[in-house]
Amino acid sequence: MSLWVDKYRPTSLGKLDYHKEQGNQLKNLVQCGDFPHLLVYGPSGAGKKTRIMCLLRELYGPGVEKLRIEHQSITAPSKKKIEINTIASNYHLEVNASDAGNSDRVVIQELIKTVAQSQQIQSSTQREFKVVLLTEVDRLTKDAQHALRRTMEKYMSTCRLILCCNSTSKVIGPIRSRCLAIRVPLPSMEEVCGVLTSVCRKEGLLLPGELAKQIGEKSGRNLRKALLMCEACRVQQYPFSADQDIPETDWEVYLKETANAIVSQQSPQRLLEVRARLYELLTHCIPPEIIIKGLVPPSPDQGLVSELLGNCDGHLKTEVAQMAAHYEHRLQLGNKAIYHLEAFVAKFMAVYKKFMEDGLDGMMF
Amino acid sequence: MSKLSTGRKASSNKLSSWVEPSFGDLFSGSGLNSFDLKKGVSLGETKSKAQKTSTDPSSQRPSKRRPFPPTPEPLVSSGSEQSQDEPWVDRHSPCSQVELAVHKKKIEEVENWLKLHLNVKSEIKRGAILLLTGPSGCGKTATVQVLAQELGCRVQEWSNPTTVSEFRKEDVRETFDPDSRFNGFHGVSQTAAFQEFLLRANKYSHLQMMGEGETSGRKVVLVEDLPNQFYRQPASLHDILRRFVRTGRCPLVFVVSDCLSGSGSSRLLFPRDLQEELGVCNISFNPVAPTSMIKVLSRIVTQEAARSGSRVTAPDRAALDLLCTGSSGDIRSAINSLQFSCLTGCSPETTPWPVKKGKAAASAARGVSKARSKSKASKGSESLDSTQAIGGKDASLFLFRALGKILYCKRESCTGPEGPSLPAHLSEHQRDTLLVDPELVVEKSHMSGELFNLYLHQNYLDFFSDLEDVARASEYLSDSDFLTAEWSSRSTMLEYGSSVATRGLIHSNSARARADNQASVGFRPLHKPHWLLVNKKYRENCQAAQCLFTSYCLTPLSLQTELLPYLAQLTNPMRNQAQIAFIQDVGRLPLRKYPGRLKLEALTDRDPGTLDGDSEEEGAEPAVPAPTGPGPGETGGDQGADLPASQPQPTMAQALLEDEELVIDEYDSN
Repeated sequence: MSLWVDKYRPTSLGKLDYHKEQGNQLKNLVQCGDFPHLLVYGPSGAGKKTRIMCLLRELYGPGVEKLRIEHQSITAPSKKKIEINTIASNYHLEVNASDAGNSDRVVIQELIKTVAQSQQIQSSTQREFKVVLLTEVDRLTKDAQHALRRTMEKYMSTCRLILCCNSTSKVIGPIRSRCLAIRVPLPSMEEVCGVLTSVCRKEGLLLPGELAKQIGEKSGRNLRKALLMCEACRVQQYPFSADQDIPETDWEVYLKETANAIVSQQSPQRLLEVRARLYELLTHCIPPEIIIKGLVPPSPDQGLVSELLGNCDGHLKTEVAQMAAHYEHRLQLGNKAIYHLEAFVAKFMAVYKKFMEDGLDGMMF
Repeated sequence: MSKLSTGRKASSNKLSSWVEPSFGDLFSGSGLNSFDLKKGVSLGETKSKAQKTSTDPSSQRPSKRRPFPPTPEPLVSSGSEQSQDEPWVDRHSPCSQVELAVHKKKIEEVENWLKLHLNVKSEIKRGAILLLTGPSGCGKTATVQVLAQELGCRVQEWSNPTTVSEFRKEDVRETFDPDSRFNGFHGVSQTAAFQEFLLRANKYSHLQMMGEGETSGRKVVLVEDLPNQFYRQPASLHDILRRFVRTGRCPLVFVVSDCLSGSGSSRLLFPRDLQEELGVCNISFNPVAPTSMIKVLSRIVTQEAARSGSRVTAPDRAALDLLCTGSSGDIRSAINSLQFSCLTGCSPETTPWPVKKGKAAASAARGVSKARSKSKASKGSESLDSTQAIGGKDASLFLFRALGKILYCKRESCTGPEGPSLPAHLSEHQRDTLLVDPELVVEKSHMSGELFNLYLHQNYLDFFSDLEDVARASEYLSDSDFLTAEWSSRSTMLEYGSSVATRGLIHSNSARARADNQASVGFRPLHKPHWLLVNKKYRENCQAAQCLFTSYCLTPLSLQTELLPYLAQLTNPMRNQAQIAFIQDVGRLPLRKYPGRLKLEALTDRDPGTLDGDSEEEGAEPAVPAPTGPGPGETGGDQGADLPASQPQPTMAQALLEDEELVIDEYDSN
């Protein structure tokens, strides 16, 4: 038994549930023969990867689905061994180069070189190029991105790149201009609901429309998350009821509790407790950026700030948002996340406390 | 040890004296002195030169001790000079328990141990090992020597065979002498020689016991000077020790100085599990207490003054105190500097060296330096600077105290309206003068600013009461992390970072702004920082997640925040045990009020303040995905079966880049 997300993932461009027009365009792209480098971007859970896999299948046929996971080790010029996992078929190679940290440049160069140098066997019936799929391109170092630019040009004859990322803002201009950019937006609420219902129908389940809508809202239209939630609902209770609780992940609940703890009392002792909770979140693999992020209220599921913002008044909101932005920036530049997380919490506590005291003095809050 | 005072020749050759005679340079320099004087160099310069050369060996750890080079015959020799030549540390080395500057309890501990294990009749046939640790110059070796003497047993000491010639000496005690006794030892490595030494030390004692009386046959094997190889490969030492414990008959005493910088050789050479395994008794010595040091110093001063009459000017009590603080618990360096300060105290007229001529010969141009040297000499050791220049050890603080100094931030109560006070709108920033210098404290704590900041960060909240202050302090900590973030400028910014953090913390604690309202806090326990552990765990978990769940083909972010937590809630069967365990551990969070995973580890008084493992690398060090736990290799076989149809079936291949296999037989063209 596999997850619904994987089980009902569309496998060809024609079977996509939404963004059908884009699917058709991609199909045309494949058929017209001249295939450019692609830069696929869009928020998490929108279906980028699904579309890329569909595209590859369209290019190479079902043989592309025969994947193997390879554990490669590459020796950098500095004699340092880099180990990296790749997923490959006969026609493509998928790698998340940012796993290699600072050595991602070497990984990119070496891997692309290897792929590009091995020609397709039967190029008459087959595409004459292979595809290298790079995920999380926005997390590559600048160094690696520049290396990528050169490599892209050099091996154009035998190799195409598909780059996948959440945002193009961290991808350097030269790369963006060398690629055909394809934006995969989030599905609309109706589309999410439609997918959920159809998946449930295939599972032989009856999903009430209200619940589907709730799941859609709660997931922030992140389809992967919505499907996971839906499956969790199924585990929790079946038959579904329209008003049943949608299970949240533990860390989200935990984060909410943390936010409540911050709002309910502001003191150094409480900050100490909050720190322990932050540590707890970190040890459970929740990245510090996620902890602090999640500003936009429509996606109420993520982040400390959005939890905190819910408790704030208009004027305070801008101030808190500004603080959060400041410390998130620090987080990116700095070294030890806890300093910045804690500084944010402390600052929020101070501001919030002052605000509450003022509110008691003056107008009613 | 009474032989030590027999004369210069004996002392200069004696390798096994309890302390290294450190003044060879000076006295070999007496020849140099007169040579210099011919050239008209002023007295002050010579002396300072001599001081410089002689302070070095005194601050060295005893294990680094090298045999003392033979002193050249001084040009001007008189009867009285001979006694002056001998370093006071040797002349006044303790010969009874009363004279030891070590705490009574410690002596008792060592004595009990020695008594227990020297008692041949009751002894179980096992070698016993005693490990003495403590800062250098706190009397470890002296204690062993004195006790051995009092208990009537001999001390057989190991010394590293550096050059053969230096071991050719007719010492009364059996120093290990590879040349005379064991001819086969010339090409043998130090490690092998050491092993052989232990072996023979055992056997030898056995033979002695047959021939002579029981008391004289008892002996203690003392090892201070470990072959260097053991520092590189502690395991080889451990093997030798294990063998010794099985076969040994006489007690073996290791004396290891520990240093503050944390690279503790005792922890490297004698890890805790080994100590437990071999039943090693570890007695750790403290630095010599100021009171007992003063006692010893004044005893020496009175003896010297009585012996040499007017030639030695006895420093007064204040000077002794200064020496005492300057040496920071190292009695050897204290005595050395005492001897020095007494010498500088003697006026030029009474010195046996013909200084007058030199002075007369000095040109007018050198008048300034001469005057300075003269005034310095007349002041003796009274001024702090001169004393520190003579024998001052780098004062150091234990981490516990260093943190306390920052966190309690003692301030001086300002008396009288001297300085201009801040204008009204800045009055909240008004602070009394600090009693501590934060940069100095960090420096003395012997740890990197970053690590120190982590300690501060772990502990500062307990000392704050106002939230505004906390916000400000945490802002400073954030600033300081920000400063050291960029690796290219890290080394230069490190100091600024710690400055910002410490001073920021001190300043922002407005409750402790004044000297008079500082008593409020009281004692707070200090703790070790969690961050390093947390960060390590975070990285390990992330890597493990990626290794275990590669088949889902997700980015780390969505894997960690979406898939894993939901997998924990689903009844989806896992592929293998490791995945189940991991999901249970990481996917689930304890939804309780207080997280119990992190235990506060209290920081004790004497902790060296280094944490194990990878302390500083994060950020600079790229996270190399090493397969933790059961890697892809194990998960391979049954993985394909459960994968969804859409999620293309991965098969494992542990392939290097070069021999990447191409499966072409499944190829199927459209």
